[in-house]
Amino acid sequence: MDFWSITLQLFEGFKANCYLFGITLLGALPLGLIISFGSMSPFFPLKALCRTFVWIIRGTPLLLQLFVVYYIPPMITEGAFRIEDRMTAAVIAFIINYAAYFSEIYRGGIEGIPKGQYEAGYVLGMKKSQIFFKVVLLQVIKRIVAPMSNEIITLVKDTSLANFILVEDILKYANDFRVQGLIWPVFYTGAFFLLFCGLLTILFRFVERKLDFYKG
Amino acid sequence: MAFLEVKNIQKSFGKTEVLKNIGFSLEKGEVLAIIGSSGSGKTTLLRCINFLETPQKGVISVGGDVLFDGDDPSKKKDNEIRKNRLHFGMVFQQFNLFPQYTVFENLILAPKLLAKEKIKQNGDYMGASTYKEAVELINREAEQLLKKVGLTEKRDEYPCNLSGGQQQRVAIARALALNPDVLCFDEPTSALDPELTGEVLNVIRGLKSSDSTMIVVTHEISFARDVADKVIFMADGVIEEEGTPQQVIENPQSPRTQAFLSRFNQYSD
Repeated sequence: MDFWSITLQLFEGFKANCYLFGITLLGALPLGLIISFGSMSPFFPLKALCRTFVWIIRGTPLLLQLFVVYYIPPMITEGAFRIEDRMTAAVIAFIINYAAYFSEIYRGGIEGIPKGQYEAGYVLGMKKSQIFFKVVLLQVIKRIVAPMSNEIITLVKDTSLANFILVEDILKYANDFRVQGLIWPVFYTGAFFLLFCGLLTILFRFVERKLDFYKG
Repeated sequence: MAFLEVKNIQKSFGKTEVLKNIGFSLEKGEVLAIIGSSGSGKTTLLRCINFLETPQKGVISVGGDVLFDGDDPSKKKDNEIRKNRLHFGMVFQQFNLFPQYTVFENLILAPKLLAKEKIKQNGDYMGASTYKEAVELINREAEQLLKKVGLTEKRDEYPCNLSGGQQQRVAIARALALNPDVLCFDEPTSALDPELTGEVLNVIRGLKSSDSTMIVVTHEISFARDVADKVIFMADGVIEEEGTPQQVIENPQSPRTQAFLSRFNQYSD
């Protein structure tokens, strides 16, 4: 096995990590926003529900949540219901987990906007929706870019946890080489994660610069 | 009937009664200064007039139209309140400019949104029948307002690059861009360095000559004396004394007004 064919094989596995990363973002970014509105709701039961959800999800390991999503449904339905596809189970667990973290980032960003911004909009006769989209939204985005990039970069590496429910990700491929007595591909996987995170870092820095045209 | 009538305003936060049956009236083109110590309810009164707070009781009317009536729930609907707010402009202590917009964009944002809505509804915004015409009108007016507050050369700056005094002047122009009937100022110079208060007070003074009806909550007693047609001294949620500046500031009758003003006089002159 030469270096390039091993690289290509690992890349085959890394596609699964990229897929899990992409779908998790697609699902968790909007779901997190919904949960954040719930946890800021003046309606107490909804607020309590959302905050309890966030507490449980953030308070337990992602790995454990993966096991729960994959193994608990068949256990309690005595095999009647199970998520057949391991990747689907991983996607569900990841979206739930990351939505909880994202919701707190959104909440921090939204609650950090001074009340005066809303009031200025009101006295200028603007509607609530206009104030949100025209005044507040960009300010929230600027505030959350840094914590979001942090969390999204963590997600890149967390995708490897899916390996524990036997999703065929890059670590599974690397492990196959190890079993055959070839250890270095295991360490080589780090380069894939590093490269991916590097690209994301450049992207986030670009976004931060784009939003740097004003302060405050 | 006076142009602006404010009657029997009562406002409590929980058990604390902040405004106890406040009322006053103002003629078109008059300037009212509201003075008094912190916690006397001045700011809450102004916020009630701008519908940022909802009083439990009271009536507010402009030009004979009742805009708010504490006993009439139909006046408390969101859409009704939003429409009625446009009778009033508000300048905040903390300026509250929109940081991501330039000075000029701050001025035209709300008028453009309003023009779009009005033209959709009844095909008219201040004489313009299309959105494009309305935008031209809004832009022209914004340029004039910038000139009025002396900030034409700051047109394309972001608020973060302006001094506090300049920001407050932008905020004044922004409030004027919607042509309010009554312009309210909530301690417009309290967040400014002493050397910057002058430029803001001069702008407000300049508006008086252009016939704007204004309510100014202020701690600048000499400004109130020079500019106001009418002065109200508030204490503990009631109007302790009201009248012309000569009556209230030069020759106060109530002991509380006297005590308040003597504290100011210790430091000035």
